[in-house]
Amino acid sequence: MNVDEFVKVFGERFPEAEVRVSENKMPHPKRRVWVEVEREKFHDAMKFIRELDPKAQFSIIIGRDAGETLEAKYHMELFWEEGESISLIIGTSVPKEDPRLPTVTDVFPSALPYERENQEFLGFVFEGIPDPRRLFLPDDFPEGIYPLRLDETGIKPEMVKNAGHPYKIRKEGAK
Amino acid sequence: MKVPPTLSTVLGNLFKKPATNPFPVSEPVPVPEGFRGKLVYDVDKCVGCRLCVMVCPAGVIEYVPEVRKVTFWLGRCVFCQQCVDVCPVNALRMSDEFLLATTDKYDDNLRWLKEDEVEELKRKLEEQKKAKEAAKKAAEKKE
Repeated sequence: MNVDEFVKVFGERFPEAEVRVSENKMPHPKRRVWVEVEREKFHDAMKFIRELDPKAQFSIIIGRDAGETLEAKYHMELFWEEGESISLIIGTSVPKEDPRLPTVTDVFPSALPYERENQEFLGFVFEGIPDPRRLFLPDDFPEGIYPLRLDETGIKPEMVKNAGHPYKIRKEGAK
Repeated sequence: MKVPPTLSTVLGNLFKKPATNPFPVSEPVPVPEGFRGKLVYDVDKCVGCRLCVMVCPAGVIEYVPEVRKVTFWLGRCVFCQQCVDVCPVNALRMSDEFLLATTDKYDDNLRWLKEDEVEELKRKLEEQKKAKEAAKKAAEKKE
């Protein structure tokens, strides 16, 4: 299956999804498929991809604070056994007041660490995640602070430490 | 007992000279051309454009607005040479010096443009200013 066939098949199954294909130039010309799905249809879409290619390579989830909403982009490589693979970036966004998102660990088990990471860093809530513990943040890190958020639930200014420059330290008389 | 397959190599190496450099006794291994050692700063060439402050990834450089120069603390330097590449007047360069170990992280060897030098520069600038004003007044009187 190539990019155009995939776009056609996916568009027929999910007509309301936004699908666009980008192309980057030399030195590594490659076409990428970008898909934007609603939260309600997201789990079905992931299941459909798994059915299309049972050997799909799930790479990473990238979360982002986009102002009013939280965005999650799931990167994966499809049909990599058939020569040139399809690079698919399927994304969804959720409002900040209600950051629930269905887990995809039942479809792609390797998504678990990325979901845990996004949960602690951006405040997503993955419904049905088998292991909701923290992954990277220390245990004594305060609750309700999400380091990658850009709003008031992000890192507080007093949590940021800087060892300082000797010129400034001596000039301002500290130490 | 089985003969280990490395035996011939080991025996052969036993009769060769050691291939090490006994450093404090001998000179260190010579540095290659373009080696990135301790940063050297030329205060007189500096025009205070602050480009090096912008590109430094490690927070080595601090701008001193009173004298329009920059001050360095190499305790944080990562030797990436970006400040050297970006400097428009070539006031910065990388030397071959790499033996920089010290017991004090604010050691004089790791600083460029220390506080006393800044004070001296400030005094000099003020004197220049005064001299200029005096010259101006003298010119006005002549007219």
